[in-house]
Amino acid sequence: MSVPVSDDDLNAYVDGQLPPERAARVAAVVEGDPAFAARAAAIRAHNAQLRNALDPWLSEPLPRELIGAATSSKSHRRGLGRRLLPVLATAASLCIGVAIGWLVRGEVLQQAGTPVTFQRQAALTHALYATDANRPVEIWANEEERLVRWLSKRLSFQLHAPSLNDVGFALVGGRLVAGNEKPGALFMYENADKQRISLFVRKDGEHSRETGFRYALEDGVGVFYWIDDNCGYALSGNLDRTQLLSIAHLVYGRLAALESSPSKQ
Amino acid sequence: MSPTLPNPDLVAALPRLRRYARVLTGDVNRADDLVQDTLARAWEKRSLWQAGSDLRAWLFTIMHNVHVNQYAIRKRRQAESSLDGDEETPGGWQIAVRATQSDRVELAEVLVQIGRLPVEQREVLILAAVEELRYEEIARVQGVPIGTVMSRLNRAREKLRRMSADVQAPLKVVK
Repeated sequence: MSVPVSDDDLNAYVDGQLPPERAARVAAVVEGDPAFAARAAAIRAHNAQLRNALDPWLSEPLPRELIGAATSSKSHRRGLGRRLLPVLATAASLCIGVAIGWLVRGEVLQQAGTPVTFQRQAALTHALYATDANRPVEIWANEEERLVRWLSKRLSFQLHAPSLNDVGFALVGGRLVAGNEKPGALFMYENADKQRISLFVRKDGEHSRETGFRYALEDGVGVFYWIDDNCGYALSGNLDRTQLLSIAHLVYGRLAALESSPSKQ
Repeated sequence: MSPTLPNPDLVAALPRLRRYARVLTGDVNRADDLVQDTLARAWEKRSLWQAGSDLRAWLFTIMHNVHVNQYAIRKRRQAESSLDGDEETPGGWQIAVRATQSDRVELAEVLVQIGRLPVEQREVLILAAVEELRYEEIARVQGVPIGTVMSRLNRAREKLRRMSADVQAPLKVVK
């Protein structure tokens, strides 16, 4: 049953580099063994520390020379100016200056504040709505079909709210949430103990990076997330990690099955 | 027409390029020079970039190579100019002091610790843990087999673990 787990497996598991089936098997061994679990937790904590230390650099204003060098192959190469007539050079640098000024402005606006990662957004969104007793969702589960249709339309791709009834979580409903570039969707589930978990889905236009399962703890909310075909999925909740992981696996498998089923709209 | 790099993407990649350059050089000013040289090289080699592929990983690869070459040149010069050329990192790691805009001590400590790692281990660690590149992509960036990437990562984490243990150890003795 249990598989041998090497140091490389442990690293790859924590870094979300393993394919889902292998990740599940390694997870079972690692999370079930206190020594392994402690090492995994230490690596995870260190990864988070590294990101906390290095992420603020991303929001620093960029020097003009770098933006110039990124926007043109010629105007900022060293020494080129010397070959231009002085008058032309002045005119050119004026134009470039204006262009750069504009770009810098855009960039500074874009970069203001620390960027929010996908997993963090999922956790914050969960924390915000899961605690809302009266209006956790916009459309309730009794109108599930309408909910899924509406969110699919707003996100411009076919969404699914996988059933989690067999693990004791019933769909509460869902809502539209603000995303990075495009909106995201939140499906909320609840069990008999009134514990809530939510599935957050967001698709960004550009090259999102595919990942295996990753785990993050954001402000006390556990998040298992993965990115598949430019689409990020995150399952958030205050459950213990192994429980959340097993549900995340279920969600992953059911979404994959729904995606490939012929009844797909 | 030769292929062109998508400008907005290059600008969007700048903050990460800069961060990677700081991790490589350990020096904020030298990092920006490295970014500039990397961008110049990227424009020169733009016909080699495959549209639609990951621009960031491609730029990291160029930056890695530019840095390796510059590092070799600096090291040679240093060896020529000093009789006892035994300094290990030319220029050295100067990031920690400047980057502690937050008052959180453990973050400053993290920066000091990664500064003590050999550059190739530090590189793998940051690309895996912070940039979240796939191990295969990191192997391509460094031009080494994936097994080398994994053993570098393992050694980096092992060293960091021991450094943290060393930090905590004296406390136990005092008690």
